Amino acid sequence: MNVSREEAAQALKDIDRANDRIVQLKGYQHGAPFFIVWGLVWLVANSVSQFWPEYQKWVWPGSVAVGFLVSLALGVMQSRRSPSGNPATERERRIGGKIGLTAGVLMIFIVSVLLIAQPQTADAGNAMVSIFFPFMYMAAGIWAGWRLFVIGFITAAAILVGYFWMKDYFDIWMGVFGGGSLIAGGLWLRTA
Amino acid sequence: MDGPDEIIHQSMRLKITATLNALPSGEQLEFNTLKAVLNATDGNMATHLAALEKAGYIAVQKDFVGKKPRTRVSLTRTGRKAFERHVAYLKDLLEGGG
Repeated sequence: MNVSREEAAQALKDIDRANDRIVQLKGYQHGAPFFIVWGLVWLVANSVSQFWPEYQKWVWPGSVAVGFLVSLALGVMQSRRSPSGNPATERERRIGGKIGLTAGVLMIFIVSVLLIAQPQTADAGNAMVSIFFPFMYMAAGIWAGWRLFVIGFITAAAILVGYFWMKDYFDIWMGVFGGGSLIAGGLWLRTA
Repeated sequence: MDGPDEIIHQSMRLKITATLNALPSGEQLEFNTLKAVLNATDGNMATHLAALEKAGYIAVQKDFVGKKPRTRVSLTRTGRKAFERHVAYLKDLLEGGG
């Protein structure tokens, strides 16, 4: 059997592509449940803010706290067993730990930005916190996979449209389109 | 230098083994996921998996999740070694060793 240099080069390219695709697939599998959880947090908290504004000051810290606890539990579960059902490897455990630390750094950054910027309205604060995440997804998507970029782009567009043109319905807009896009995005990642 | 591995070198089988090799040792991938990752049809995938299984390069495990049948594949130790040898051959060829 003879293999030409061109065939060898093509074969090595195919192997690299297969590696990239598996890294991307694993990223999607790990990320999907977190998107769904935070989409639900966003949906519930914004919906309550729109229809029962008297509970707004309770629902946000409450639902964010639940989101963090569920995310923490998911992170611990994924450090033991990967979403595909196989025992987590040492590398997956190490990456999981770094993702957790990165999330912590980002949370401190968001709180710092809010303290410095002091948004004048609840909508501005909501938009300021919310817009941060889709841009993170877009940035991550450039490296990790185009689906992440698309989810980030649609969510960011929804937030900007809602903030500038849907002021009367901003909370429910954010719940349905912001939270909804994250939930749909999470389900989409699961199909990858 | 070892020659090319004739089983692995076929384009689809190379992609299958490369994909399974990218997973940690012993990790299984579902048939449908593998099919989607490689943009392959059921028939094409089944034919090439059978050839790789016959060579002892992959292990195929079939079971049921509820009432739905599930097929999972993983690269065997023999398959991983054969893949590594084949990649080494390809690299040697490109670097002028062939």
